[in-house]
Amino acid sequence: MKTNLRSLLFFLSPALILLSVFLLIPIGAAVYMSFNKIGVEALIDPQTISFVGITNYTQIIFHDELFRKALLNTVIVLVIAMPLTVALSLSLAVLINSKLTKFSSLFRVGFYLPAISNTIAVALVWKWLLNGDYGLINYLLSLVGINGPQWLTNEHTAIFTIIMLVVWKGIGPNTILYMAALSSVPDSVKEAAEIDGASAWQRFIKITVPMLAPTTTYISIMLLIGYLQLFEEPFMLTGGGPVNSTTSIVMLIYNEAFKYFNFGYASAISMVLFFIIFAVSLIRIKLTKLGS
Amino acid sequence: MKKNLLRQWQKRGTVLSLHSVLFVALFIMCLPFLWMLSTSFKTSSEVLKFPPTWIPHDFTFENYVELFKAIDFIHPFYNSVIIALVSVILSVIVCSLAAYAFAKFNFKGRDKLFMVLLGTMMVPGVVMQIPTFLLMKALGLINSYTGIILPGIASVGMIFFFRQFLSTISNDYIEAARIDGAGEIRIFWSIILPMMRPALVAQGIFAFTASWNSFMWPLIIATDDRFYTLPLALTQLDGQHASNYGLSMSGAIVVIIPLVILFMFTQKYFLNSMNIGGVKE
Amino acid sequence: MATVELKQVTKEYPNGYKAVHGIDLQIRDGEFMVFVGPSGCAKSTTLRMIAGLEEISGGEIYIGNRMINNLPPKDRGIAMVFQNYALYPHMSVYENMAFGLKVAKLPKAEIDKRVREAAEKLEITELLHKKPKEMSGGQRQRVAVGRAIVRKPDVFLFDEPLSNLDAKLRVSMRIRITQLHKELQAAGQTATMIYVTHDQVEAMTMGDRICILNYGKIMQVDTPLNVYNYPQNKFVAGFIGSPAMNLIQVRVIKTNGGVNLRLADELELTLPPAKAQYLLDYDGKTIWFGIRPEHISLVNADDNTTGSTIHGAVEIVEQMGNESYIHFSLNGVSLVARTAQFGSQTLQQGQDRVAFRFLLEHCHLFDLDTEENIGLK
Repeated sequence: MKTNLRSLLFFLSPALILLSVFLLIPIGAAVYMSFNKIGVEALIDPQTISFVGITNYTQIIFHDELFRKALLNTVIVLVIAMPLTVALSLSLAVLINSKLTKFSSLFRVGFYLPAISNTIAVALVWKWLLNGDYGLINYLLSLVGINGPQWLTNEHTAIFTIIMLVVWKGIGPNTILYMAALSSVPDSVKEAAEIDGASAWQRFIKITVPMLAPTTTYISIMLLIGYLQLFEEPFMLTGGGPVNSTTSIVMLIYNEAFKYFNFGYASAISMVLFFIIFAVSLIRIKLTKLGS
Repeated sequence: MKKNLLRQWQKRGTVLSLHSVLFVALFIMCLPFLWMLSTSFKTSSEVLKFPPTWIPHDFTFENYVELFKAIDFIHPFYNSVIIALVSVILSVIVCSLAAYAFAKFNFKGRDKLFMVLLGTMMVPGVVMQIPTFLLMKALGLINSYTGIILPGIASVGMIFFFRQFLSTISNDYIEAARIDGAGEIRIFWSIILPMMRPALVAQGIFAFTASWNSFMWPLIIATDDRFYTLPLALTQLDGQHASNYGLSMSGAIVVIIPLVILFMFTQKYFLNSMNIGGVKE
Repeated sequence: MATVELKQVTKEYPNGYKAVHGIDLQIRDGEFMVFVGPSGCAKSTTLRMIAGLEEISGGEIYIGNRMINNLPPKDRGIAMVFQNYALYPHMSVYENMAFGLKVAKLPKAEIDKRVREAAEKLEITELLHKKPKEMSGGQRQRVAVGRAIVRKPDVFLFDEPLSNLDAKLRVSMRIRITQLHKELQAAGQTATMIYVTHDQVEAMTMGDRICILNYGKIMQVDTPLNVYNYPQNKFVAGFIGSPAMNLIQVRVIKTNGGVNLRLADELELTLPPAKAQYLLDYDGKTIWFGIRPEHISLVNADDNTTGSTIHGAVEIVEQMGNESYIHFSLNGVSLVARTAQFGSQTLQQGQDRVAFRFLLEHCHLFDLDTEENIGLK
């Protein structure tokens, strides 16, 4: 049946207006702003906005040491945290799904807690738990004879502490996604492999893991979009330090825009971040296609 | 006989190691929460005691009392509740309407428009936040509920989820209602919305959680502490009362507990809301 | 007056695909009309155009004397029963049946009366408070019919309403719907029904008349028996009847006395004069020869009645209990005979030289190009 225009507008226009004003137009505006110099004075007098071409971009890519450091930090987090989250989520899902496991709903709920917990609240307690001198973690380690590091205040370990925390938060939801995917792998396929003489490990690697590929791709892409936008953990736990060793790209953008009011320059960095997310997602999708 | 016994022992060993691994993992996942909970009921002297205690010796509510009396934690709590509730209600209405149009109406450019919207899911939030901040500044909506709530109402993710759900609902229901004489709005209200209930609840809870935990946008747009939400108020706790861990832990508990309770009661729906379509191919 | 008339109705989709090619059809007041055809024949599309769920690309549709092309469904005086029932899952049976009346703002007492009357008629009174998912397929189907009845429509539309039911239920629902049609008529209500199905048994048993469609064109409209006995063309001949009519190409050979048909190279059948008269212009041409399985019978092997008995080799015998289908071949051409004879039980696969007699007064002859029935012209 032909749709009449009036009812179409009734259903569609609230969302379309909001999405235009707060999504589509801002994206366009960000592109425009990235080619301009827009400082704090522009808030009062728009005349002070000046077109600077690709200067912002050349500055970011060739001269901004801090951007390079933030990019490196963010990439380190992505490269370590993404595979780690995937591997741990899958392993835990397999363990919980096992027929021998009891209390599986307890584990499911327990593992999910970090994901629904407010990052700021959780950061407060982690900061204290991970205190090198009087934190609980190092105390527990000392009980088994390990001399714990200065988790958050050492230039070389801080980034890995951040990684541990984002993985800790990311495991729950993905474990549940994997559990759902695992239970949808038909038993008959595994049984056929068993009759073919495959060992349990072989069945897992050769049958189960490939059949989980769509889930793995989905999880990886969601994780990489999330991890590349790392902000709250370093913001709360380290403030980007020590010596910028945990500054992330989004933190850099936040500081440029809302601390130093370099709106044009901050927009340019955000466009670069978008480009990175787009490129990495594309590579991840290509990898899946190569695999199958 | 011997073989059987051996196999039984083997199985017991497997079960034991399986559960040890899971319980260690559970301990790591829950450690901060246990510690938070325990500390929030300790007196300020016990908080810093070394070696640390797990169960408070002098069980006390003084941290909570101080939280709501001495420092104004009620106000941000109220802000968070209002903002989350209004956001959820408006989001669900706006997005379900749009999703219905995308799923069940035929109009020119429908699929292209939808692809464009889906594409924006890859754009990091911070890209939009800078121009939106300037817009809000120009409109005088800095430090206002409207400014905090409005940009988040229309969510592409939620529209996508609803559209997926609606595409599993047969068009026959709509046609039957049309033959029954119902107009488009009546069909949506009396037939479609009730059928969408599980999806509405799932996304409603998801949106509530997102709003409750959202940090960066309120941080940008709420500079006046009258408009602080709970996460912003928590950062204050970190700064001003650095040494008073009992107080900041009770603050953290207040922020986390409502969602944990919500989660316990709505687990089934909540877990559904994560399956934002992408997994089944 | 709930006649339904279609005048040159066409349906063309935006992508240029033409689904319905100018249909002309008159359905009488109170008639039970069945649309039947293979999938893709546009029987559902035609029904949906009558319902107002599908736009009419060309032509006109009248219900009573009103042209309804541009009326919304609710103003057409129709009710529809869907294949998957389409009962609103969140409403009870009562609410499902009352919904349309509520939308029409009927008084509460009238709604209640109509719902209870319909429920009684369909014996679903005790289900009124139940939700659709608590009921069996057959019960849901009855509720769907009930939802149509309460609207007191001029025309009932059924879109393959029984195809989701199992075979046994289908038979009983078939009878129930036919009864309902008779009851409504007896009660003085207009009850024109249009019923879409792909099942020829439903078509044959339920319809006052059958409309057979193929690729968006009407092949034949007539009573079930006429359609069976006098198929207008090769398509109808092959579509109606199970097992299907045997259709083979034969060559017409004029003899001094009449007309012979040569099939499978060397075998010849002699047509009775009543049939032969139609083929006077066809000497030497190839035509389609059709004969229903029940019109081929087993005879004694030594029966040599020339012109109607042919010896063939048995390929397979399907025993149905009360009858048998004998698949046999004549020099490579496969045919089916249907017989109740006990002799068939002793037949064996591969048995040669079994004698089959063709009851040629019942055969059908179709033009090779137009596929029209030559004998009905």
